[in-house]
Amino acid sequence: MTSPSVSDRFATSKTRALVAAVVIALCLYALQFVTIDGMQSLLDVTRQSAARVPTFFVRITLLLCALAAAFIFITSLSFYKRNKVAVAPWLFLFVGLVLFMIYVIVPIFQSISYSFTRWDGLYDINGVWTGKWVGFHNYKLLFQDPNFYTSLKNNLWWLVLFMLAVPIGLFIALFLNQTVTGIRIYKSLFFFPFVISQVVVGLIFAWAYNPEFGLLSEIWSWFFCETKTNIVGNLTRVCSPEPPSILGDENTATFGIIAAGLWPQIAYCMILYLTGLNNISSDQIEAGRLDGAKGWKMLRHVILPQLKPATFIAIVVTVIGALRSFDMIATMTQGGPFGSSNVLAYYMYDQAVGEGVGRYGYGSAIATVLFLIMLVYISYFLWRMYQDEVEAR
Amino acid sequence: MKLNTKRTLAGLVAATFMSTAAFASDLIITFDDLNPDKAAAYEAAVEAFKEANPDINVTANNGDREAHKGTIRNALQNDAPDVITWYPGNRMGPFVDAGLFLDISDLWASDENLKNNFNAIKPTMTRDGKQWGVPYSYYQWGVYYRKDIYDKLALSEPATWDELLGNCDKLKEAGVTPFTIGTKFLWTAAGVFDYLNLRTNGYEVHNDLTAGKIKYTDDRIRGTFAKWEEMLDRCSFVSTHATMSWQDAIAPFANGDAAMYVMGNFSVGQYKEAGLTDEQIDFFQFPEITPGLPRAEEAPADAFFIPANAKNVENAKKFLSFIATPEIQGEWNKSIGQLPPNAEAEINTDDKFIVEGMATLSTAAGLAQFYDRDAPAAMAKEGMQGFQEFMLDPSKLDGILENLDKVQEEVYAE
Repeated sequence: MTSPSVSDRFATSKTRALVAAVVIALCLYALQFVTIDGMQSLLDVTRQSAARVPTFFVRITLLLCALAAAFIFITSLSFYKRNKVAVAPWLFLFVGLVLFMIYVIVPIFQSISYSFTRWDGLYDINGVWTGKWVGFHNYKLLFQDPNFYTSLKNNLWWLVLFMLAVPIGLFIALFLNQTVTGIRIYKSLFFFPFVISQVVVGLIFAWAYNPEFGLLSEIWSWFFCETKTNIVGNLTRVCSPEPPSILGDENTATFGIIAAGLWPQIAYCMILYLTGLNNISSDQIEAGRLDGAKGWKMLRHVILPQLKPATFIAIVVTVIGALRSFDMIATMTQGGPFGSSNVLAYYMYDQAVGEGVGRYGYGSAIATVLFLIMLVYISYFLWRMYQDEVEAR
Repeated sequence: MKLNTKRTLAGLVAATFMSTAAFASDLIITFDDLNPDKAAAYEAAVEAFKEANPDINVTANNGDREAHKGTIRNALQNDAPDVITWYPGNRMGPFVDAGLFLDISDLWASDENLKNNFNAIKPTMTRDGKQWGVPYSYYQWGVYYRKDIYDKLALSEPATWDELLGNCDKLKEAGVTPFTIGTKFLWTAAGVFDYLNLRTNGYEVHNDLTAGKIKYTDDRIRGTFAKWEEMLDRCSFVSTHATMSWQDAIAPFANGDAAMYVMGNFSVGQYKEAGLTDEQIDFFQFPEITPGLPRAEEAPADAFFIPANAKNVENAKKFLSFIATPEIQGEWNKSIGQLPPNAEAEINTDDKFIVEGMATLSTAAGLAQFYDRDAPAAMAKEGMQGFQEFMLDPSKLDGILENLDKVQEEVYAE
């Protein structure tokens, strides 16, 4: 063994605890001096842009220091050593739990509490909240608001139609699950749309749908349009009937966006099924074949049961995808025309944050309703997971 | 002992942080337009200010206009600059009411230039009887039209509603769609509504409606929509307007498929970029509907404000006085192709749209900001959606107006 060194001495728990405690104290003490003014004169560059960023970084660094020191401090306590097995998981969960509290749990209750107020999102000059308590007023309004029902209806359409991604994904996966030269290229080509950002998918489809220059209207013009010279001598296209304006028509806009959303979602489901198909036991297929199963029967009774985990995940991500439809709507229609392609998530954003409308109370009421709807689904999901655990035991 | 340690530490930290001494006199300005011509005009004005005030250390920031609409809330409540751009009219209302803008009535009272040369725009900058900002630019709205098409069909600029409808009939006969518009982002429809309302009912009704004093189901507002229905019927708009932005809508106009566009003067640059020349395009004021009604116009202004949190208020006021001077206002607006709110400022007489705009606005009986600036944002959003819905299907009018009444009741309730 080597002779005792500094690091060994540090390893003795008393020294370690002492050093850690001092570091915590120093970090927390220094924290209160990190003010915007102080930082501004320290880093003169910050006046150019937002002065808040470096302040924030310094604060976070100090906090993390304190946190790390606290970690060392706790692990050097004798209490910890005696109860290692029971305490250790909580220690590791601690950071995650704190962040989860700050960014998920607390905001949920905050926005529920805002939903009982009328507030334009502003604090006055002294940092005093400018809202007003109005009780259930926002909810009363909400249930009379035609836009709310439009959004709710669209949410349901999204949930229902988005589910198409699961069978279509399965079909493509079955189709691609073969050994042909270059199959990997085809697989990656089919997977490609999932790699593209949702915003880009939205833009591509919005262009394709455009009744003036889009792909659809080009195809339309092969059948229904002729090119004429207009009054100033320029060429112009005259169609009868006019090409459909998918995103400009209240009856088709939502379906246009769902179709765009399905494109990457199908790719996602497909990849889930492809990996599932890789793990199918060949013995069972063999056995099924011996018993005379093929085609539909083979799929229904031998393959699908083995794909159950993949199906479960595919449904989960598809439901989540349907409820997250926000970015597609934001890029393609902004909820238009006249709010007919809104979903609850977008409507909430629109009322609270979007374009300075500033109805934070009303937006929060919408958010609360959306939360309750999702709660049903989440509870079911958790219950299912719990059941699986119990069965596995 | 403990106190001593604390002092020493505080001193140490303070010394580190304050090592670069603050400047004697600062000014931080936040602007919100990155378009090259707009940004250049702003920078030129800031340079001129620096030259006139060498003792002030000016920091000039600039950012994207749409992003600014979101970040201003944070800026006003946390690290406020000394001067910030925002919109007058009702758009400044929430910030004024929350006490986030500084009352600069004293500047308006003491500065001779502000006192005398801004009478037309002063009401727009006023809320609760006090002034809150200084405008640096505004522009006219009206009808931009294809002069070559008008000439070909021997049409003349319409002065009355009937003349306009007559022109539309002839344009349609010739296979030209009378109006282009792109309502995807809604506000363009509000421009048409505002003009129909201003011409049918006048300035007072516009203000009362946007102030929530008149219901949308009021007979006068119904009268406006009746005119709009007539316009949709006889002066049809391009059919795909709900999927187009205002820039997209220029394409049929530039191609000669549509002949007129109800728009603001900022669009002229885009027409020219699309290949149109001064000979091909021209401007007329939206024609009279109710005979004898005093003519009011849309003239949205852009302005500078001082946040209540500003640290260098004296310098900020100096800057506002400076950009209000006729010279700066003239220079600034010449380079961005808009109109100076200062009545003494020179305009670019080579630009026929600016000349016509000046004539239009200086003789107007009242200046409206714009539907979505005069009405609170929550009302404007719903209202403009209603306008778009109406343009797509006029038969839904009753349902739309009743819904707007409900929203109005909620939004204006305090």
